[in-house]
Amino acid sequence: MLLKKFFNVGFADITVAERAAFGLDDIARYPLFAPDFLEFLRRAIPAERHRELVFSIAVKASKPVAPANLAR
Amino acid sequence: MAHFRDDEARSIILETYGRVCSDGETVARAFYAPEELDTLPRDAVGMSLGVGHPVRHAGLRAGETVLDLGCGAGIDTLLAARAVGPTGRVIGLDMTPEMVERAGWNAAAAAPANVEIRQGLIEEIPLPDASVDVVISNGVLNLSTRKSRVLAEAFRVLRPGGRISITDLVLEEALPEDVLKSPAALAG
Repeated sequence: MLLKKFFNVGFADITVAERAAFGLDDIARYPLFAPDFLEFLRRAIPAERHRELVFSIAVKASKPVAPANLAR
Repeated sequence: MAHFRDDEARSIILETYGRVCSDGETVARAFYAPEELDTLPRDAVGMSLGVGHPVRHAGLRAGETVLDLGCGAGIDTLLAARAVGPTGRVIGLDMTPEMVERAGWNAAAAAPANVEIRQGLIEEIPLPDASVDVVISNGVLNLSTRKSRVLAEAFRVLRPGGRISITDLVLEEALPEDVLKSPAALAG
């Protein structure tokens, strides 16, 4: 879905350079979340997903020298 | 399906990132090499809230102009400034006044003359067309309710042949509805 958005605006050479699972323990490292919210996530999300809640990805792409899909 | 209007989402992000404080380096240590971090201002390292290392994948070269979308306290901005050297230029853009202030302090502390911090929206990048060589961003695109707009703006400001390198979080399987509706989940 995200890669398609890159393509749709005109980027080329779209590459996923890295992809890694991001779990609840990873999220807990961030000072953005209060302990009660993390506890809410642990309760609301099935335990089998706690290690793979989302994925962190690194995406690279380039702007063509002559835009090929300008019409999109 | 969008769970927040654009203005609601922006308000949540501004409030969350405006008040965040951290004296630890746990997040930064997960993504950056110790030798990269040891020479940066402690605040830039401690306030790292990214989800990867976009500079590592950007292939930056001396003399290039780089735009860091959602620069936060400036960790990637400063690493990019080091990579492009004194003949290059790095612009850090963030909508949160507190982060802009922090990034400004950190840029001053690191003393690179080639860094400029600006306040603005990633959906309306305050730069001319075809004015940068590389766009980087770290854990910011997912915070926008208008991701295609952000990418279109990045495309607009890149010179032909320019590159984008972003790290971000993606959801491959839906989360429970009550999680998706949570403002705290949006901010992360």
